[in-house]
Amino acid sequence: MAADPKMRFLVVDDFSTMRRIVRNLLKELGFTNVDEAEDGAIALQKLQGGGFEFVVTDWNMPNMDGLTLLQTIRATPTLKHLPVLMITAEAKKENIIAAAQAGASGYIVKPFTAGTLSEKLNKIFEKMGQA
Amino acid sequence: MTATNDSDDLEALFDSIAGDFAPAAKPAAAPAAVAKAPVTDDSDDLQALFDSVAAETQAAKAEAPGLVAEETAGEEWPRQEAVFNRIGHMARLLHDTLGQLGYDKLLSQTVSALPDAKDRLAYVANLTEQAACRVLNATDIACPLVDDIENGARALGERWDKVFANQLGPQDFKALAVDTRAFLNGQLPEKTKGAHAQLTEIMMAQDFQDLTGQVIKKIVSLAQDLETGLMGVLLEVLPDTKRTEEVNSLMNGPVVNAEGRTDVVVNQEQVDDLLDSLGF
Repeated sequence: MAADPKMRFLVVDDFSTMRRIVRNLLKELGFTNVDEAEDGAIALQKLQGGGFEFVVTDWNMPNMDGLTLLQTIRATPTLKHLPVLMITAEAKKENIIAAAQAGASGYIVKPFTAGTLSEKLNKIFEKMGQA
Repeated sequence: MTATNDSDDLEALFDSIAGDFAPAAKPAAAPAAVAKAPVTDDSDDLQALFDSVAAETQAAKAEAPGLVAEETAGEEWPRQEAVFNRIGHMARLLHDTLGQLGYDKLLSQTVSALPDAKDRLAYVANLTEQAACRVLNATDIACPLVDDIENGARALGERWDKVFANQLGPQDFKALAVDTRAFLNGQLPEKTKGAHAQLTEIMMAQDFQDLTGQVIKKIVSLAQDLETGLMGVLLEVLPDTKRTEEVNSLMNGPVVNAEGRTDVVVNQEQVDDLLDSLGF
């Protein structure tokens, strides 16, 4: 599946600065259809409303953290196909393994670069194309 | 606090106080929930105490099933008071010990400095957030300006390409010359000036670093004092091999010092390698 520029992203992070940065980077990459949520619980609500095709989420957030959000997405039949890219400051190997086991589509540690984001997105698009 | 974290000294102290203490009967209302709270982490003594209270409560309930919770709770109160009294004794002894060792002064200094440190950290959070917003606002303004310059230049360039390919009539050429002059004299300097102003804004938004740097240095030194003080107390009170359990959590935030640690990754490459090695 080629990357559709109309693809609808949900960016989940409790810090508005990080949401803005990710939104801007996605815009640079040609994706302008971006919505934001400030924690996992709000994200889940928005996702259940439908229409999203990609989730970019932080890990450490109030109310519902990113791992729980990921696990909930994977356990929800209508959402489980969604690619979920984690962008987080959590850098313990344990975290990375837990995220991978929970079905994360990619894992980026903060601080990160525009190049890394682009690379990981493309990798995920490639995999989606093969599936 | 778990039983494994207690020192033998503390256990002994606890036992001796427990032995001295004779619980006085003094009925008063207390929430029944306290006795029903899970007690898995308490020391054996406490466990035994709670077990006996729980057994009593059960017995009381069996004898008088109609009794409301508050009334049964009244019978538990002397036991609870015993616990509070023992804790009070221990706190007093700890206080005296600390006083004798001279740590009380250090600790009170540190404790009084903590609200100040909280304010300072809030100040840092505030300044850095402001800076981040200023920078993002500046890029929001500057990016369209730069895009305009790029698009204007490309459009003119394409028209000039036609001139060089002999595809443009004299009228069109004249119009191109006028447009190019207008672009060079008007749009270009105006937009570069605008973009430059935003670059200056981004530079100025970094002024927080000086202020937060000073504040953070103060807090680091406070934290060091606190650590030294508390470490001293711990070494006095827990002289043996007691160790706190390693904090085992998946939400630790950024790794501020990865030196000597093998359980963390330090860059994206290591993340990718780890995932590759696991076959993800």
